[in-house]
Amino acid sequence: MKRFIMAFIAAYIFLFVWGWLVNGVLLKDVYAESARLWRPESEMRSLFHWIIIGQALVVFAFVMLYASGFAGGGVIAGIRLGLLLEIAAIGMRLGFYAVQPIPGKLIFYGSIGGIIEMVIVGAMVGAIYKPAPSRTS
Amino acid sequence: MNWKKFFFAFIAAFVFLFVFGFLWYATLMHDAHREVATLLRPEADLKSYFGWLALGQFVMAFFFTLLCARYIPGGRAGAGAMLGLLVGLVYAGPHLISFAVQPLTFKILFGWIAGAVIQFTIAGAIIGAIYKPATEHIMYVREPSR
Repeated sequence: MKRFIMAFIAAYIFLFVWGWLVNGVLLKDVYAESARLWRPESEMRSLFHWIIIGQALVVFAFVMLYASGFAGGGVIAGIRLGLLLEIAAIGMRLGFYAVQPIPGKLIFYGSIGGIIEMVIVGAMVGAIYKPAPSRTS
Repeated sequence: MNWKKFFFAFIAAFVFLFVFGFLWYATLMHDAHREVATLLRPEADLKSYFGWLALGQFVMAFFFTLLCARYIPGGRAGAGAMLGLLVGLVYAGPHLISFAVQPLTFKILFGWIAGAVIQFTIAGAIIGAIYKPATEHIMYVREPSR
């Protein structure tokens, strides 16, 4: 449990900082090109807690997934899980691209950022979380 | 990896994701989506982007099936459903973030979250029920006589 919490906190901090760096700084101009799709900044600030809850849910479910089926495989298993989840998520992004007028550039850069993000999250969780040793009688 | 079973599981998952997506997002949630029409492509444009939607579902089904095959090497619908539930929760997180940055309604937010969780739980159960490991990877061990 202690390892679970440590893995969650470390991955959450990374996800938060990475999300801000990619979406709030690096892709700021790309987002500005499609301003009508986004809330005004003041509104986003008032709904900021939803971002925190959303990121916490992603990390919590990721660590749960790792702990229940991949634990023991270490960093490589974590990276593999992150990659599989993110590539499937790219499929979801393509679905959004088909129905929303989101610039293709944003889908492309968002997907690159997503892959890097989930590979690092997977590596961190794989390095920190260790399954409890089985008890022998 | 049992590629034959994998292929059947992938096809079943792809068909399910496609049909569920159409029923849930395009039919049940149609009116909710029309409340935020400026966020969506005009209906006339949707047909020309249909290829992207199909490609997205294909990619999603393929890699989710791959994930299931690695996570539940012995198969079983229940284990697949549990994996699908957790994957649905991973994908529900970005919907909460989208709500903070896009002018979506609560109805759409809850519809998307419920859709992701239900869709992946059922898809996981289908894959778990179909996918079984190749028999050459099963090792039989004789128990020592007592």
